[in-house]
Amino acid sequence: MNGRAWKNMASSDANLLSLITASRPGAAPTLLRSALPVVVIVALAVMAQVVLKGLLGGYYADLAITIGVNIVLAVSLTIVNGFTGQFSMGHAGFLAVGGYVSGAVTYYFSLTQWGSAAAAGGRLSGMPLSTEGLAWLGAGDVLFPVALLIGGLVSALLGLAVGLPSLRLRGDYLAIVTLGFGEIIRVVIQQSGPALKTPEAAEQAGVLGMATGLGGALGFGGLPKYTSLFWVVLFAGLTMLVAYRIKTSTSGRAMLSVREDEIAAEAMGVNTTRTKVWAFVIAAFFAGIAGGLYAHKLGVALGPVDAGFQRSFDIIIMVVLGGLGSISGAALAAVVVTMLPEYLRAVADYRMIIFALALILMMILRPKGLLGVREVWDADLWRGLFRRGKSAKGGGK
Amino acid sequence: MSLLIAQGVSKSFGGLKAVQGFALELPERGLYGLIGPNGAGKTTVFNLLTGVYRPDEGTVKLAGRELTRLRPNRIAGEGLARTFQNIRLFGELSVIDNLKVACHLRCPHGMPAAVLRLAGHRAQERALAERCGRLLEMFGLASRAHEQARNLPYGDQRRLEIARAIATGPKVLLLDEPAAGMNPQEKKELRTLIRSVRDTFGLAVLLIEHDMGVVMDLCERITVLDYGKVIAHGPPEQVQKDPKVIEAYLGAPAA
Amino acid sequence: MDQLLQTLKDGVTLGSLYALIALGYTMVYGILKFINFAHSDIVVLGAWLSLTIAAKLLALMGIVDPPAWMGAVVLVGAMVACGAVGFTIERLAYKPLRGAPRLNVLITAIGVSLLLQNTGQLSALFGTSPRRIPDLLPDTTLLSIGQVQLKLLDVVGAGTAIALMVALEWLVFHTKIGRAMRATSHNVNVAALMGIPVNRIISFTFVLGSMLAAAGGFLWALKYQTIKQTADSSWVLLGLKAFVAAVVGGIGNVRGAMLGGLAIGMIEQFGAAYLSSSMKDVYVFTILILVLLVRPSGLLGKATIEKV
Repeated sequence: MNGRAWKNMASSDANLLSLITASRPGAAPTLLRSALPVVVIVALAVMAQVVLKGLLGGYYADLAITIGVNIVLAVSLTIVNGFTGQFSMGHAGFLAVGGYVSGAVTYYFSLTQWGSAAAAGGRLSGMPLSTEGLAWLGAGDVLFPVALLIGGLVSALLGLAVGLPSLRLRGDYLAIVTLGFGEIIRVVIQQSGPALKTPEAAEQAGVLGMATGLGGALGFGGLPKYTSLFWVVLFAGLTMLVAYRIKTSTSGRAMLSVREDEIAAEAMGVNTTRTKVWAFVIAAFFAGIAGGLYAHKLGVALGPVDAGFQRSFDIIIMVVLGGLGSISGAALAAVVVTMLPEYLRAVADYRMIIFALALILMMILRPKGLLGVREVWDADLWRGLFRRGKSAKGGGK
Repeated sequence: MSLLIAQGVSKSFGGLKAVQGFALELPERGLYGLIGPNGAGKTTVFNLLTGVYRPDEGTVKLAGRELTRLRPNRIAGEGLARTFQNIRLFGELSVIDNLKVACHLRCPHGMPAAVLRLAGHRAQERALAERCGRLLEMFGLASRAHEQARNLPYGDQRRLEIARAIATGPKVLLLDEPAAGMNPQEKKELRTLIRSVRDTFGLAVLLIEHDMGVVMDLCERITVLDYGKVIAHGPPEQVQKDPKVIEAYLGAPAA
Repeated sequence: MDQLLQTLKDGVTLGSLYALIALGYTMVYGILKFINFAHSDIVVLGAWLSLTIAAKLLALMGIVDPPAWMGAVVLVGAMVACGAVGFTIERLAYKPLRGAPRLNVLITAIGVSLLLQNTGQLSALFGTSPRRIPDLLPDTTLLSIGQVQLKLLDVVGAGTAIALMVALEWLVFHTKIGRAMRATSHNVNVAALMGIPVNRIISFTFVLGSMLAAAGGFLWALKYQTIKQTADSSWVLLGLKAFVAAVVGGIGNVRGAMLGGLAIGMIEQFGAAYLSSSMKDVYVFTILILVLLVRPSGLLGKATIEKV
């Protein structure tokens, strides 16, 4: 026992609150450090659109956008399935809600206010750079993020409604409730009426008519296509940043403690229900954003299928393979799972069989996923790998 | 007035009366023991005090405040902290993060501050690191601060559990078989540790223990449970001689 | 009046099917405490195997109209095959994870489910287009009340389901192996200490559940005739509803699963008949949410106490 440490503790105050108020740093450096990553992300997003898009060419730029959307989905699901250890299986339901809500906002707002549902963006939202005199940002580039935000918020609200009854209970109920939720969203969307094609029809139908005119089983076609590399990199970056900042905070540690041992977490003062519901709501919010990005992507016709379980399973595969709880792992897995079928024909044909086997084998052989809760940049991940290599050698002697 | 007061606390599971009319008065800075044969209901008493189970009857009060119907996290907030018989650390988390989780209730800056990395969040993180670092030093775990908790040796895990309970800033500490699985040397150190914890933090301690050496040496008063009922209560010397206690442990004398 | 009778009849026939499938979920949950997501895929496999066996048998015998006993042969064939598949899955995928965290077992079950769904869609197996099962029963009407017709199909379907459930009830509550199953479900470790061959009991439970699932698939095929591809979302909905039935009845409780299945079948049919048929899937999940809010342990279930 360390005698000096005991004396120190006894003499100083063990009360955390006084410690917190005691150390107030200057405001300026804090602001800079908080905002710097955001500035970097915005800069990267602009670069992606201006430089990378040209380098990649149409096909790969398109693939990069899909990857970006999947990163947002995988990282957001990591907050629930990875951090809190609860198992949501209806993430695609939130994707669809976000997609349909933001799609309805951009589509009907453009139609009624601007007379056409065509995109009214600038260079950053994917308009050809050659267009004469085009600004970097158009009126649509204000509408689009606002619509994404609305989609995300509606999705988060639904997340609250689904999460509250099912997250109070221990066990696997969340899995079944969320799986059912996704399927219900799919069924409900199928019941919606055809999308209204003209400003006059939309005016006549009113808000309710517009809200239910979502294309039904045929899908919601004709949405303005705003989603560009700029927007995708921006939101993928922000999602990862927020997830990381949560993970390394009091709230994030509370989430991880729930996943490790719910009873012990409660005994340490963690409100487990509130922690789980928060994680679920945040994940739903970002899934909604991802849905909005997906809905406004060129070549996508948002449909009821996008709410279905198959889509949810895709996201689960990314989260599990990446390591339940690792943000960088989930992002990496999103890249690999999206790209692999594009490159390997065999993978494309037997895609789901291969991933299903990967899931089973992963659980038996390396149950924590590739990275576990650790991040790619965590020193102890590499130290661990290195040490394991060394001890293997030692064993050979 | 006593710090922790339990009165007539009872709990049955189906037909099994696990605990009947449990009563206890633990004064400030008191160091009391709870003993009894296996299955006597000792851990159930802890679970009832900390809200893991809801008592069917009876009341629990801490510093005059009623705890009986509160959820476990609220009870922890009122100042009742515990360790577990079968160690329940957050295995995948680092040693220091285990302590930081336990400071949860004392952290006023939540998610918005964390996402925006506001000054309050940064100050909180610094304070957490300092306080938890200091706690680890006290428990001789500072050098292992960044290892995963599940990789610690057994004795260190037991000590980390105590440190984690203390990190919640409790008034009363409940220790569930802290000496289980320890060797004589470790047990000796544990005794010093528990006394130091009580003196340094000014806590009251209630401990369940099977090792009579530890219990008789440490505890000022001992409560004996058998079949869910309190059969004896008093100073160690008195309890040791109590015929009912001897009967509970050794069986009734041959007629 | 006609509508009421019709809905009652539909509710019973559908409900007995849900109950049959719910039993598989509830038995596995009772013993291993995890949701066997692959269970609904065994149902699908049962339906497709019934179709394959029936088609092969007819081709082999060179006839078009099957004799009455053929249905029984197809049923038994599908049950045996699915039982074997269930045994294999448990041995290869779940057994290595005994004692692993629940989340890992759940993920494995999802993996197994995906594997079955997508393997079934390979062109060498069942392919991706829907197929029709040959008529195994004559389209006889036994009884007509007004517009409502009670067909042979309905009676055979509900009758088979009920007979199997009665057999299971007898097995679980009146035989030695049933007692071992109940003991294992109560506490695996203590059961093992008492000399019960726990691993064999678990295997047996999986085989039993899979056989009931196969029967469910067979009856489904009889009832709806057209069988959709193995990864079709309607199968997932079927599995979900059966699971909801198990939860509503009290998960882990054999009688609860039967009661829950009937309840879910009725709710779905009455909702479809009297409210809106396009929303019938929504009612079931509304019920699930309500049950979780009000009585999470289900109608016949007991609240469980977690050991700390």
